[in-house]
Amino acid sequence: MEPVQLKQDYWSYVKRQFKKNKRAVFSGWMVLLLMTIAIFADFIANEKPLAFKDESGWNFPIVKEYGVKIGITEWPSAWNNLKWAEKEYQSVIFPLIPYSPNTQDYRNAQFASPFEPQDIESKRWRHWLGTEALGRDVLSAMIHGTRIAFMVGFVSMFLATLIGVVLGSMAGYFGDDRLKMSRASILWFIILIIPAYFYSLQSRTHLLSNAIGESFLLFLFQLVVSIIIFVLFMVGVWVLSRPFKRIKWLGQKVSIPVDIVIQRLIEVLVSIPGLFLIIAIVAIAKPSIMLIMAVIGLTSWTEIARFIRAELLRVRNLEYIEAAHALGFSNIRTLFKHAIPNAISPVLIALAFGIAAAILIESFLSFIGIGIPPEVLTWGKLLSLSRSAPWWFAIAPGFAIFIMITLFNLLGEGLTDALDPRQKR
Amino acid sequence: MLNYIVKRILIFIPTLFVISLITFMLSVSVPGDPVEQILGGGGSAGEIGQSSSRLASEQSYIDKRRELGLDLPVFYLSLSNAATPDTLYKIYRKPHHDNLEQLIQLYGNWDYIQNYYLSVQKLDLAISDLATDSLNAEAKIGMRDEIFTLFNQSQPSLVQSALGRMKEHIASSSSMGGISDEMQNTLDSYNDMILNATPYKNYIPQFHFYGTVNQYHRWITKFVVGDFGISYQDGRPVKEAVWTAVGKTLLISVLSIILTYLIAIPIGVFSAKNKNNLADQIVTTILFILYSLPSFWVATLLITFFGGGDFFDWFPTYGLGNEGDSFLEKAHHLVLPLFCWTYGGLAFVSRQMRGSMINSLSQDYIRTSRAKGVSETAVLWKHAFKNSLLPVITLFASVFPMAISGSIVLEIIFSIPGMGKLAFDALSARNYPMVYTVVMFSAVVTMLGYLVADICYAIVDPRISYSNKK
Repeated sequence: MEPVQLKQDYWSYVKRQFKKNKRAVFSGWMVLLLMTIAIFADFIANEKPLAFKDESGWNFPIVKEYGVKIGITEWPSAWNNLKWAEKEYQSVIFPLIPYSPNTQDYRNAQFASPFEPQDIESKRWRHWLGTEALGRDVLSAMIHGTRIAFMVGFVSMFLATLIGVVLGSMAGYFGDDRLKMSRASILWFIILIIPAYFYSLQSRTHLLSNAIGESFLLFLFQLVVSIIIFVLFMVGVWVLSRPFKRIKWLGQKVSIPVDIVIQRLIEVLVSIPGLFLIIAIVAIAKPSIMLIMAVIGLTSWTEIARFIRAELLRVRNLEYIEAAHALGFSNIRTLFKHAIPNAISPVLIALAFGIAAAILIESFLSFIGIGIPPEVLTWGKLLSLSRSAPWWFAIAPGFAIFIMITLFNLLGEGLTDALDPRQKR
Repeated sequence: MLNYIVKRILIFIPTLFVISLITFMLSVSVPGDPVEQILGGGGSAGEIGQSSSRLASEQSYIDKRRELGLDLPVFYLSLSNAATPDTLYKIYRKPHHDNLEQLIQLYGNWDYIQNYYLSVQKLDLAISDLATDSLNAEAKIGMRDEIFTLFNQSQPSLVQSALGRMKEHIASSSSMGGISDEMQNTLDSYNDMILNATPYKNYIPQFHFYGTVNQYHRWITKFVVGDFGISYQDGRPVKEAVWTAVGKTLLISVLSIILTYLIAIPIGVFSAKNKNNLADQIVTTILFILYSLPSFWVATLLITFFGGGDFFDWFPTYGLGNEGDSFLEKAHHLVLPLFCWTYGGLAFVSRQMRGSMINSLSQDYIRTSRAKGVSETAVLWKHAFKNSLLPVITLFASVFPMAISGSIVLEIIFSIPGMGKLAFDALSARNYPMVYTVVMFSAVVTMLGYLVADICYAIVDPRISYSNKK
């Protein structure tokens, strides 16, 4: 056998192990394929033509729509309330599925079956998965639902990872004895945390909750402003406590029981029935997908935090961390540059399973009709419509949810096998 | 060990306290008015009819509110701002309260806002007292719509257009002239409010301390001594309702857990014995698919196909049958829910069993007994099986909390009046006492479950030690 020079670093090893798992690799490709569908959903299923030619020359309404959204062009007023399918064109290219999720085909309303003849001009206009009560095309809704499913999975898990990694690594790395603060800082912290909360959150609640309803970017902006205000107060703690540190008693350092506090926080979140928590939070605010994503993220970070805490508890007594300490590196630098990168692999696993779980939660919430605005059609909502529909209606959306969850679970399995050297056979 | 258990239970107390706070705050912030829900008739209860009957219904509203303790401040203390009066919680009717908060956010001058609010109330009463005749009927209805807008909207554009339309209504009919004074008053107070706006006051923090006379204190002190209150929905004691629900949920989950273990353990042993060959792979794949099937989809499909939809009408799909039903009748009701409850856990337990068996089979003592010539069956069932059963049994401790708090998803779909459905219904009906009790109950059970699980692990695996080593 010819000797092969294999790269020996950890990630190349992981990659090789992962590639051995055929099912996981296949799921990886499938996820990419579905992501492509999600990204190009507007070009695959849309009532507007991809391109058409009339007196004014060639037009690209779908592209134009994107331009309108980012504000570089304007929507021609002649196109308002236009029945695209009935317009006269010199030549026209319609997308693969010539229906938007909200296009109502009156002639095929009331659950036109995919197995029976439909009232259409040609096969080109067939509703391949049928329609719902108002004549909206199921396949188109399914394709656009892919986008929502991915968004929910990725955004909420991004948030969960962010919270989980920060809190989990703090708990694991600092434990109950490694984070020390002077009494002066603690006192100033206690004094300033209330105004910090007041100015960064409470007095901005209206701004923040209005922004959630408006747009993601606006919300992000308001959130960043809030965070900056909070950080400014924390800087205030640092500045104000400096002169007091000279007094002996106030200058003494006390260890903060970070681990105990974060562990209790996790315990609290885990003990409250998860769906109850989510349903209660979602019920407070205006329905929006943003909110659903935020709430799922805020409630599902505990698993990631527990993983990374356990890893760091193990890692923190290893020699290279001690070496970093001996070299005089700061806590933060040791934590983020050395400890976390070595503890990140279990997080990847939790992430894959977490995305599956988030998609499941979102589809369940839309299934019981909570939190998703009425005009948005998601897989879960399609499934909920099926309760008053013919039998075939329940198949497609449920199958899509199932496939999505299976793919991410398989990915998670593959990652577990690849990342855990103990399982090496 | 005992030390550890006592310590863990002591730690429960602050955790439970925090959970009680979160539950309380969340439920209180869920929009909707419990009092109106009880008295029925939604928002219109006190807004139609002559002023005398309206005042009477207003009074019954206030009485009910006092009876439930909802007229008290929410918590011991509050952090608000200089623009918000510390008596704002006294404004009953949640939409009005919320709207006043919005106005405070916009204008920050409580005295003027209060004036405006009172003037709208007066105008509202004056409209009710106007005798209806054929000329002003339409205008009166229009006025009432606009009053509703004033009570519920704070946006200047909306309020101003409403005020504008009200003026038109009054001008439209001579008999509407009787309320022109009140109308003028409302307009003036609205303009005063805008002219004297001090929104900066929203940015001055202010503390209020209410002492022990507050809703949270009232609830938690009763709760601790076991008085869970009365359900807003049907006036039954919450304790009773929760007990009934726990019974229903436990019936299904205990049956399902027994089924799960009965089926999953042999499957796990079987796959471990045939590790990595075709049979194992097929079983593992099927279980994996079962594990990923969303239960609400399976439930929907089962109902569609076997519950009398377009196909077979084999099983009832609603509830668990009536009180006096025969055993067979009840079992009939249980088939579909039990299936949905069981199949997911099946995959989970048998995977654990498989892993644990494989682990046991690779131990030295198995090799030794095989070398001694012990039969393969005896090795499998006597040596390996016994040793790998324990970790799977400890899974039980973490399954148990779920078994009690129920499955919101499935209980809703099959209309089973268990804990999950109880919690969901209570939350949507603002049935606060029920919400608190269900959540606290689930929390305690969950924490106990984790404690039992940890203790089980320590018993099963003596290498785990919970004593403090420093």
